[in-house]
Amino acid sequence: MISSPPAAQPGTAIRRRPIPWARLAWVTLRQRRCTVIGAAIVLGAFAVYLLIMGVIQNNAYAAIAACHPAQAVKCQQLVESFRSYWGGGGRVIQSGGAQTVSSLLFAVPVLLGAFVGAPLLAREFESGTFRFAWTQGAGRTRWAVSTLVLPAVLLTTVTGAFTVLFYWYFRPFLAIGQVSEMLPLAFALLGVAFAAWTLFAFALAAFTGTLFRRTVPAMAVTLVVYIALAIGTATVIRPHYMTPVTERGWNESPSSGWILSSWVKAPDGQIISPGDLPSVLVHAPASVANSPDPNAFNDWLAQHGYTMWQSVQPASRFWQFQLIEGGWLLVVSALFIAGAVWLVRRRGA
Amino acid sequence: MNVIETNALGKRYRRKWALRACTLGVPGGHIVALVGPNGAGKTTLLTIAVGLTRPTEGTVTVLGGEPAGSPEALDRIAFVAQDAPLYRNLPVAAMLHVSRNLNKTWDQRRAEDRLERLEIPLSQKVGELSGGQKAQLALTIALARRPTLLVLDEPLASLDPVARDDFMASVVAAAQEDAISVVLSSHVLAELERVATYLIVLTRGQVQVAGTVRELLASHGAGLEEIALRYLRAGVPSLSRTEGAA
Repeated sequence: MISSPPAAQPGTAIRRRPIPWARLAWVTLRQRRCTVIGAAIVLGAFAVYLLIMGVIQNNAYAAIAACHPAQAVKCQQLVESFRSYWGGGGRVIQSGGAQTVSSLLFAVPVLLGAFVGAPLLAREFESGTFRFAWTQGAGRTRWAVSTLVLPAVLLTTVTGAFTVLFYWYFRPFLAIGQVSEMLPLAFALLGVAFAAWTLFAFALAAFTGTLFRRTVPAMAVTLVVYIALAIGTATVIRPHYMTPVTERGWNESPSSGWILSSWVKAPDGQIISPGDLPSVLVHAPASVANSPDPNAFNDWLAQHGYTMWQSVQPASRFWQFQLIEGGWLLVVSALFIAGAVWLVRRRGA
Repeated sequence: MNVIETNALGKRYRRKWALRACTLGVPGGHIVALVGPNGAGKTTLLTIAVGLTRPTEGTVTVLGGEPAGSPEALDRIAFVAQDAPLYRNLPVAAMLHVSRNLNKTWDQRRAEDRLERLEIPLSQKVGELSGGQKAQLALTIALARRPTLLVLDEPLASLDPVARDDFMASVVAAAQEDAISVVLSSHVLAELERVATYLIVLTRGQVQVAGTVRELLASHGAGLEEIALRYLRAGVPSLSRTEGAA
């Protein structure tokens, strides 16, 4: 009974060394070859489109940038035609259709994350292959870390690089002031947000896939939770990242940033929301109330001691906001991935 | 050295005990047949031993004192689960490569030689193999890991008679060639009778009898199947009990 197995004696030190990460990474990628190709095709198709349109648009914008002085009618006309031609929705093929493309890109993080993340462990449970994977020499913890972390890093890196391309494509619209980068529709496609939301969708899908042991329910839950959180973030959470700046006067140009609310302050200090202004309008003389000039009423308000205010997240806070959002999404994603590894460690067969 | 040793081992799934008060020592150097009806707890016992399942109570060690599922145990125990789960979308060659990268010990030449003898092409997708070929591939991968202990859960369940015979012949040859211990489970003893050197009968989550085939045959004076049947009956209360289940 003292005899020990022959292989254990001389090679103990070598045996003890864990399997190198590179070998585990190879396994992870080889198993997901189809997923890698699929994701590359989706992002690649968008990238080709952005590249072609980006070249055309940046050329068109070069004419605007070269036009001096910028306030000249000739230059304003250039801006206006650029805006209407490239920025519109619908016409994806004939013109830029930046709005259409942007709204399609909105779905990319959740779709990419769900399709890559949900099957990672759920497929192993569905097909029973976890019984193979978890009984190999590598051990299930290292296997799970490789299976989850490598795709997470790859997805984040690739979508991050994609954002650089998108920014280059989208830059003219920001430059001519068509849209503020702080507005929810632009914010999520710029900076680190696009990659962070992709990582979040991936981590959520991988976690729910491990929890449910089923791919399709994990995808469905990911979709619902993601959409709810994305809308909740843009409408409720993001405006509170920093205290909004209260400005006097209504400045609706995109360069001012993200206007959260606006109101009118009466001479007696009463706050009137824009929706309640008709109740003030009845006090104005008919010449003002019926004036075709929209500024007539505003001028009358100003003359009678009313002041206009708005609450704004200025455009200068763009990167601070990006880092705040990227930061908490990164933390939540890391927790989901750690949770999935924890589930693998404690789960029985 | 006991390749598997359990003490008062129990596993409960929700409210049902799959295994209860299971105390057992499986000696090394044998081809061990773990026999019992469906639901007797065979799979539970084996998955606990290979570290896939955590027991609810009791202890289990493998390979003479290693905790089940420890890195050392994972290194030296090769497990083929029921229906031989492998990655169906991979070609055989890639399946071998995956296995090689997941293990510290790997004998590629041996795996390739075996597959060549079995006429399983390396370029074929795993999902396109027949049941017998798939079981043989799983066994090939398990043997290429050069394990000390080979654990096979219901390896014959999905195979036709010819494939069963070939598979068992492969297991016996490998066991003799490498001097490895083998534990295999089945609900049909007839398949294991000719090869098993050690018998464990498990019913309703408890061990009814465990011993070398030679001793059992000598002490009972009956055929192995008859002995096993007697103990299997002993574990099923609805049928007439026979003496000797102590």
